[in-house]
Amino acid sequence: MLSLADLLFKEYRRQVLALLLLRPDQSYHVREIARLTNTQPGTLHKELTKLAEVGILKKAVQGNQLYYQADTNCIVFEELAGIMRKTSGLADVLRLALQPVTGQLQFAAVYGSVASGKATANSDVDLLLVGDLGFAEAVKVLYPAQQELGREINPKLYSVNEWHKALAEQSGFIRQLLADPLLPIVGNKDDVR
Amino acid sequence: MTLDNLTGKSLEKIEPDPIAIQRLLDAAERNIADAELIELSNENRFDVAYKAIMQLANAALQASGFRTLTSKPGHHQTMIQSLVKTVGIETDRMIVLDALRKQRNIADYSGDLVEDAAVVECILQAKQLLALTQAWLKNQ
Repeated sequence: MLSLADLLFKEYRRQVLALLLLRPDQSYHVREIARLTNTQPGTLHKELTKLAEVGILKKAVQGNQLYYQADTNCIVFEELAGIMRKTSGLADVLRLALQPVTGQLQFAAVYGSVASGKATANSDVDLLLVGDLGFAEAVKVLYPAQQELGREINPKLYSVNEWHKALAEQSGFIRQLLADPLLPIVGNKDDVR
Repeated sequence: MTLDNLTGKSLEKIEPDPIAIQRLLDAAERNIADAELIELSNENRFDVAYKAIMQLANAALQASGFRTLTSKPGHHQTMIQSLVKTVGIETDRMIVLDALRKQRNIADYSGDLVEDAAVVECILQAKQLLALTQAWLKNQ
């Protein structure tokens, strides 16, 4: 199935943007980017040069290595990072990882620093899961995604009944969750209530 | 990685003390019984079940002639990982135990509630680990 990100950007661009825009505090050298995105350094280099020319990325020379990093001053940085956050990289990886249990889920969404774009390189992925599956099952399907994303995933798993009860009780956690940005993975925003 | 590799980093060698090991096993059993008290809050049921898991991992580690250096950070993680080398748990189980450790960390620091699924899993894992540890100790 063609994902939104595949349609919007060709492969190399999508991979590079997903990696660099979602980790704006980190710079990478070309070979590192090639390894992390599974792309060819030659073609990748051309793509990186173009993205740096228009100001989406900034480059820096350190020793004999060329480093690239997202330029957060770029006028469309927030928008592009938002698109990548919602369509590529993380959301895609999580959606795929949850596929075996999607039928048991009513709703899944990333919350916390990753969803609001405030994540640093070491931030965990906070994942809200609402559905009727076991904790061990959720942890096992998510485990390979942790390695792929280079981030730990912390599932917060509610049964459907428990979720409705929690919504009715409006604890501090629920109030904050509903007030902050959510990144839907399974279902959409309306399914949450 | 072997337990010996970790000596000085996160573990130290000790002479196993059967009385201390039995004390940990007894404590784990009491904690599992307490975890089943449905009158308690989810947080406290989760906490005592998790405590039992730590005591069982510690008992197995001590029976193998080691204990964690509590002066080093991350000794809960070390204790969980050591179970692969002591009782011989599968990677799948270690992944679940480690996820329970993280749940506890988050709940402790954020004051978030603990959901039913995590409580049920923590108690189940503690019970299974009790049986596994008891069987393993018999063969030691």
